[in-house]
Amino acid sequence: MRNALAVAGVELRLFLRDRANLFFVFVFPLMLVMMIGLQFGEGANAGRVAVSGTDSSLQSALVEQLESDDVVVSDPAWDDALELVARGRLDVAIRLDAASATAYDAGRGVTLEVVSGTSGNSRVVEQQVRTAVDALRAGSARLAALEAQGVPADRVVAALVTAEQDASAPVLEVTSVDRLSQEFAGLGQFDLGASGQLLLFVFLSCLAGAATLIQARRLGVVARMLAGPMTAGELVAGQIIGRWAIGLFQGGYIMLASSLLFGVGWGSLPLALLVLVIFSLVAAGAAILLGTMLENEGAANGAGVGLGLVLAALGGSMLPLELFPGPIRAVANLTPHAWAYEAFAEIQRRGGTLVDVLPQLGVLAAMALLLASLGAWSLRRSLARAV
Amino acid sequence: MAEDVLVVDSLVRRFGDLTAVDGVSFRIAPGETYGLLGPNGAGKTTTISMIAGLIAADAGSVTVAGEAMTPRTTEPKRHLGLVPQELAIYPDLTGRENLMLFGRLQGLTGAGLKQRVGHVLELIGLADRAKDRSKEYSGGMKRRLNIGIGLLNRPTLLILDEPTVGVDPQSRNAILESVEALSVEGMAVLYTTHYMEEAERLCDRIGIIDSGRLQATGTRDELIRLTGGVDTIRLGGSGDLVGAAEELRQIPGVERVDAERRSATLTVKDAPALVAQVVGTAAARGVTLSDVEISRPDLESVFLHLTGKGLRD
Repeated sequence: MRNALAVAGVELRLFLRDRANLFFVFVFPLMLVMMIGLQFGEGANAGRVAVSGTDSSLQSALVEQLESDDVVVSDPAWDDALELVARGRLDVAIRLDAASATAYDAGRGVTLEVVSGTSGNSRVVEQQVRTAVDALRAGSARLAALEAQGVPADRVVAALVTAEQDASAPVLEVTSVDRLSQEFAGLGQFDLGASGQLLLFVFLSCLAGAATLIQARRLGVVARMLAGPMTAGELVAGQIIGRWAIGLFQGGYIMLASSLLFGVGWGSLPLALLVLVIFSLVAAGAAILLGTMLENEGAANGAGVGLGLVLAALGGSMLPLELFPGPIRAVANLTPHAWAYEAFAEIQRRGGTLVDVLPQLGVLAAMALLLASLGAWSLRRSLARAV
Repeated sequence: MAEDVLVVDSLVRRFGDLTAVDGVSFRIAPGETYGLLGPNGAGKTTTISMIAGLIAADAGSVTVAGEAMTPRTTEPKRHLGLVPQELAIYPDLTGRENLMLFGRLQGLTGAGLKQRVGHVLELIGLADRAKDRSKEYSGGMKRRLNIGIGLLNRPTLLILDEPTVGVDPQSRNAILESVEALSVEGMAVLYTTHYMEEAERLCDRIGIIDSGRLQATGTRDELIRLTGGVDTIRLGGSGDLVGAAEELRQIPGVERVDAERRSATLTVKDAPALVAQVVGTAAARGVTLSDVEISRPDLESVFLHLTGKGLRD
């Protein structure tokens, strides 16, 4: 076992030492998690409004009102705001000039210039702006009415706050008829992207190890190891453990970094790690098989990336499985990614227990056993060729 | 008398219809350097692969330090250091890391491992480059590292498979000096090469191998005696060389004379002893000599004599 661990340690070291890997192991996965989260995650459709103009009570009140409706508000210069709207980076731009601010403070009527984008979401956000302005107008009217009734100005605001707290307003609880929305309800903005990218990159990183196996055979390193007091079984175990360690490292890194940077929730950590452990073993077995079937490092790299991307796409790492039509969903079940995706979904979204994910873990374990056995058998055959 | 470190007995290995090694037998005593001399494809590396337990023999046996060697055995491999023909090192590991890895695989651990790695680094002259990745080394440095790995376990038998292939003359000389030093330290060495000069310089005994068969084995002088031990004197010049040939044939010790208009080749028993008489006889016949060349038999001649072809054919 000591020999196997020595070989495994070298494989992990070579993986981490490859400068080309640094970007794809440490940076790229997190970039994709962020991009997918921003594009598709919860809050991705929040309205984006610019409120341009000098600081004033009108601006503060409007911003406060919009933000209370989950609108993202910024304050670029007016020309910049117009350009951002034109490029689709903002939904709506509002201009508040000094005259409007003064008129608002004086309780006079105010007309605001609003420019709206062309997207469907811009229409929705424009309506949110109208609602916010209506709310401000209603508030101002209440204020004026109370002052007209002789309530001292300093007591008006307190009275309105108290009245608002005492009033019984209906609370809305919306349930979507869309099953997809129900499926993803409660997921954090980056949660779905993180589990998908974890599966994609664990498999890719392991498959990249196929090339180092080919290199070791080509250089005669494998033969040299077998000329020492090391059995073929120890060598095979070392090669598999090495790639397994690469998968665990890659997956562990994505879990840790996505939790710290994006607040991704992984559900039960021990269960999530168990999924990672078994999935990585599947990937390690596949890497050994690939590394023994091919004789050229370049071909192994190309095949590894191709295979990794296709399996990830089919297995729900790029597009959620729930969006797949029935027949493709059935095909997806041939990939380990789909089973691991289901396991993570159970753990992350529904608080699943070990019993809940046993079917997925069972299938993954069977795949791991099959691929690791095939890989070991193929490696033993290739060792004979290597010497 | 000490037990032989290596006993190779009637080794046979076939690849399909090709018999790559055909009944090879030889022994190596402690401290002895034994050379396997033969052209590419003669069966040297296949023989070594069976001796190192990398491939199984179809027939015959290998015993290393008294223990039978097969691909499934590990104990006899503890006595063995293998330096393969190719550079079997990880290019992305440093020199020290390569040595540490193979040291661990040889069973070394802890302080003993570090100490041995440090010693080997000094021995192969890479101590000051130990932290550099081996892919940054020159060809000669990589070769030295390749050899250093084979020395980690202080082997009883060191196998060097054509260690100077593709090496510049300076590095080649350094490698040969290292091998000489190892045999002085008492290590048994099995050295394969197709360079006659290396075998002559390094080896106490030499086995000449061709087409998978060991054609002859012995010391250099023993092998040369197989050719009949005849020397050659070549004469070049102007005058009646053809006419002089008859008188040259009369000189005792001259076995044969082949003369042309401007040159003659004499096959003689002892060229240094006869050359003065040969030159005098030719001059007496009015031949003006411009060139006299003596050649004595070497391992190339032996190989030619035994196989009918040159080492580099």
